[in-house]
Amino acid sequence: MAFSWKTKLHIWLRFLILQASWNFERHQGLGFFYALLPGLRKLYSGSQLLAVARRYVGYFNTHPYLTPLVAGAVLKLEEKQAAGDTPAVDIDDFKEIVAAPYAAIGDALFWGGLRPLAAGVSLFFAVKGFLWSSLVFLLLFNLVPFWFRTVFFARGYRQGMNSVEFIQQNSLPDWAIHTKEAAVVVLGGLSAFMVFSHLGRQSVATWLGLLTLLPMVLLAYLARKGVSTLWMIYIIALIIFMAGLFWADVIQWLEM
Amino acid sequence: MIIQDLLLGALVALLCGLDRVAVLQIMISRPLVAAPLTGMLLGQPLIGLQVGIMMELLWLARLPVGAAIPPDDTQVSIAATVLAVTVARMFASSGPEPALFCLLVTLPLGKLGQYFDHRARRFNDHLPELAELAIERGSLRGAERQHLKGLLSFSVAALSTYIVILGGGLLIIPFLWPLIEEGLVYSSSWIQLALPLIGVAVILGTINVSRSITLFCASFGMAFLLMWLV
Repeated sequence: MAFSWKTKLHIWLRFLILQASWNFERHQGLGFFYALLPGLRKLYSGSQLLAVARRYVGYFNTHPYLTPLVAGAVLKLEEKQAAGDTPAVDIDDFKEIVAAPYAAIGDALFWGGLRPLAAGVSLFFAVKGFLWSSLVFLLLFNLVPFWFRTVFFARGYRQGMNSVEFIQQNSLPDWAIHTKEAAVVVLGGLSAFMVFSHLGRQSVATWLGLLTLLPMVLLAYLARKGVSTLWMIYIIALIIFMAGLFWADVIQWLEM
Repeated sequence: MIIQDLLLGALVALLCGLDRVAVLQIMISRPLVAAPLTGMLLGQPLIGLQVGIMMELLWLARLPVGAAIPPDDTQVSIAATVLAVTVARMFASSGPEPALFCLLVTLPLGKLGQYFDHRARRFNDHLPELAELAIERGSLRGAERQHLKGLLSFSVAALSTYIVILGGGLLIIPFLWPLIEEGLVYSSSWIQLALPLIGVAVILGTINVSRSITLFCASFGMAFLLMWLV
């Protein structure tokens, strides 16, 4: 039996609280069970349903935006199994095989690439004092994840295990790299914009802003070496604060 | 008035705190959203925006990958905004200084968010076992309830972080602010510029992209020259 759109919607809505019970022992396991339960209830009943449910409370972890893809494929496999077909790969094994690679792709694409990219673009608006820059960020960031959550769920359900090929064909790992590169370019433009605007406001020769690259590259090197961000913030803030006080004294002394 | 501000802040802290891990994950927990939202509710959207701009990039490089828990930039942004609005009202201060100072004071307390988040996840460790017991009893509804119970621990963690950061700020800031206010005027705009640039540098240093420094320098240089020449 195919699931009705109501059941699919019910399952999809439950993905939105997938990580409500995230824990160190089984990560998203209980949440995955919670999301799939409306579907499992349609396929099984009585003791069979309880036996299947028990299987799903175990360990599971992948990227939350790619969980619908796994869930769609798993539901298709469960549907076949309930109809008497034996899937080529055990359903639990399938879950385990795809979860880690999907998590790596999702982390790189969404957390490592899309988030800094959307933040960089929105900060252009924010620095200009545009109060709705938060909305720009939300729109820019959420378009792709919601597309993934919706279309990939449908794709996973339609293609079952073959949905893995869909990921491969669309070269998602390459997209993650391109997104990160775009984020770096946008952050470069944003930094230049902030420095240029600031120097203009302070009536300082704007070409001096090019020198900002030197401390930034040094800080990037320090961050790569594991120096704490908090230390960098406080040391730089203290240096600027002291320099500000010193400069104020110099001006006062010159005016006397 | 102050009590009302603190309670409104707590409401935002709860909603945005849940968005970090447990619910939706539509990024209303990012400082660029959470701080202006708080500022808007307290009638000072610009203070919220200032906090959001300074905070957004600082810990963006700390990815919530697997079991890793980044410092709680959500609660820092919300608490810093509430404190900045309070300081601006109490001492009749204007300009970016209150937002900057409150952020600098509350920043290290973001690490406490990691502790509370860790505790919440540890508390949730027993929920799958309880769900299994419910299934053994034949109660799938009971198993579902165990999942939803997790929301409670994440809510407590979010609110605890907010209260501790806010409490710490309220203890320190009113005493230090009169001492530092005047001195900060000379340097505030420069520190305000430095914070997002430090965030960008940390992202550059940790992002897994080959030639990231080259790409960044080329982009920075091109944009800067264009703005300079045009």
